[in-house]
Amino acid sequence: MKGTWFKAVVFALVMLLGLGVAQKLTFWHYWDGANGQALQALIERYQKDNPGVSIEAVFVPGSELLTKLQTAITARQTPTMAISDLVAMPLLTRSGALAPLDDYIRQGTLNLADYFAGPLVYGVFQGRRYSLPVSASNLGLFWNKNLFRQAGLDPNRPPRNWDELLSFARQIKERTGKWGIELFTQGGEGTTWQTQVYFWGAGAEFLNANNTAPAFNSAQGVRALQFLVDLVQKEKVATVAPWGLFGRGEAAMVMDGSWMTQFFPQQVNFELGAAAFPFAPGGRAATNMGGEQVFIFQSSEAATVRAAWNFIQWFSSTPVQVEWNRNTGFLPVRRSVASDPAYRAWVGNARPLMRPFVDSMAVARPRPPVTRYPQISDIFARYVQEALLGRLSPQDALNRAAQEITPLLR
Amino acid sequence: MNGVRRLRASSEQPHRGRTPSEWGPALIFLLPSIAVLGTFNFYPALYSLYLSLFEWNGLNPQRTFVGLENYARLIGSGEFWNALRVTLVYAAGVTLTALLLGVGVAVLLNQPIRGRAFYRVLYFLPVITPTVATGVVWKYLFDPTQGVINRGLGGVGIVGPSWLSDPAWALAAVILVGIWKRVGFNMVVYLAALQSIPKTYYEAAAIDGASPWQQFRYITLPLLAPTTFFLVVTALIDAFQVFDLVYVMTAGGPLTATDVMGYYLYRYGFRYSELGFASAIAYVMFALIFVVTVLQFRFSRGGGQVDR
Repeated sequence: MKGTWFKAVVFALVMLLGLGVAQKLTFWHYWDGANGQALQALIERYQKDNPGVSIEAVFVPGSELLTKLQTAITARQTPTMAISDLVAMPLLTRSGALAPLDDYIRQGTLNLADYFAGPLVYGVFQGRRYSLPVSASNLGLFWNKNLFRQAGLDPNRPPRNWDELLSFARQIKERTGKWGIELFTQGGEGTTWQTQVYFWGAGAEFLNANNTAPAFNSAQGVRALQFLVDLVQKEKVATVAPWGLFGRGEAAMVMDGSWMTQFFPQQVNFELGAAAFPFAPGGRAATNMGGEQVFIFQSSEAATVRAAWNFIQWFSSTPVQVEWNRNTGFLPVRRSVASDPAYRAWVGNARPLMRPFVDSMAVARPRPPVTRYPQISDIFARYVQEALLGRLSPQDALNRAAQEITPLLR
Repeated sequence: MNGVRRLRASSEQPHRGRTPSEWGPALIFLLPSIAVLGTFNFYPALYSLYLSLFEWNGLNPQRTFVGLENYARLIGSGEFWNALRVTLVYAAGVTLTALLLGVGVAVLLNQPIRGRAFYRVLYFLPVITPTVATGVVWKYLFDPTQGVINRGLGGVGIVGPSWLSDPAWALAAVILVGIWKRVGFNMVVYLAALQSIPKTYYEAAAIDGASPWQQFRYITLPLLAPTTFFLVVTALIDAFQVFDLVYVMTAGGPLTATDVMGYYLYRYGFRYSELGFASAIAYVMFALIFVVTVLQFRFSRGGGQVDR
């Protein structure tokens, strides 16, 4: 009798300890500076409200995170959860190391229909979802109002389509001698993701619908690349030069990211305007999109995965995301955040240049979620450079790029 | 210097045999370095050789064994031959020019001129400056509109090219920085060698009526041969592995104008996550450097023994 009692007490103690001892979660991320502080503040609040959980956020420099995750997966020493740039998600979902989230989503409170379509394209493999978007950025037009004034243009009226873009650029070149628009011509993903905006804006697709073959060498694609080549070769309103002309006031317009709404005002000594990027006459509004996704690693302990999911669900909820986006300047991944009155008021007061970027999230398109995207992007960028330098016609350049890229999509 | 020493060692020191009883203690003394080198050098290197037979993205649970296919793909790819050509041009450009400039600067700074130590430090500074910082600064200098170089050229009426954005000029620009970083090292090694040449040779030659050029040609140059040999080997090995300068200045571009082997390897290994193929590139690079070194030892044997 005594023995049974003793056992029961020990059992109860163990149970209490199990509940009392915090569920320890590790979270690898690359958010530095203010973003890292914003994350830490949210984690601390979550821990206070959920005494059973402790989350250790580990900062890993962005350039090293994927390599570190590769090593961790190979060595089976993974953290509980991590974020990644969305471009690496196709590799990660195929690693077999991530926990599928579908059941949690179905049983939970998160409404996926509230998410913008673009970011949700990532993180799905063989019909199962492994990650959720937690931040976004996209591309838009910035213009130099001083140069617009000098050229006799209305400084408050950005170009709305490519015809206006070209005529404004010509007028700027003629009247001020400065470049009309700056293009990112240095190759790599920087060139590709800007060029994609022109392609989508002309109605072209980058890959076919199921991402098995290139689609950029269509008539619309050729038209888009021809437009860029003409800006450089025929109209001479843009040039092939290192990035940075716009910031120094040597070019009047530029395509750049939503994050620059924070940095440009501190860097430039002219008046700035920002707008959605203009598209081809008869084309469609479109922009490119970056951002991070969060995911949970598989674990033998279901309670750990469950605890990580609970945190992610809380982190992804509308009120927390409003606060997160205000503190970081990331664009919303959820429509309810983008239309939240408090959030819109903050944008209007603190970051007025960011409004067109927030509105563009509805037309933000994902880069194709294929594993070999980095290589495909480099090849595409190289042929865009060939065309911009006048070494290949747009049609030839795109056909050759397609030829090199096709085997990478098999 | 390594090569020179080895040549001397083989002929000057009598070969001493080792008794079996010496092996045990020797092994114990060697164990720490074997452990460290084994873990961090040999094991990864051999593992990379093994990986080069697979197609693997570093994350996928499955690795596909492809035999020598990665090597076949490498030989058949235009990118590889381009990388090889770019690397050879870079290596030849940097090695030869830095050698000539190095010996020139060393001879000049071996003269009793005022501020000699200052100039020596000045020429050596680029060697100890971190390459990444160097690359970033030169990137600014090469800027087509704001850069010091094109502004200078503009001052004398020349419109400078868009250095790092122009496929015709980008490699030349990177080579220039490579030379700038190498000259100081060559100079220091040459200075040491110059100072070890006995003055009596020159005095004797002067008495025999040799002109300063003749003295340089028939005394200095031959006696510098072993040093030159050492500098060529190390410079070539360095140049074959160049990566950081290219990474910072041009990222292999524009087009593939500066896509040296090191950067080509980096692209496949760390950006395209093709670890098997990248390992194959690494082994081809290793083979090339190995061949170059062996050839140099062969051809330079005569030169390496002049001073004995």
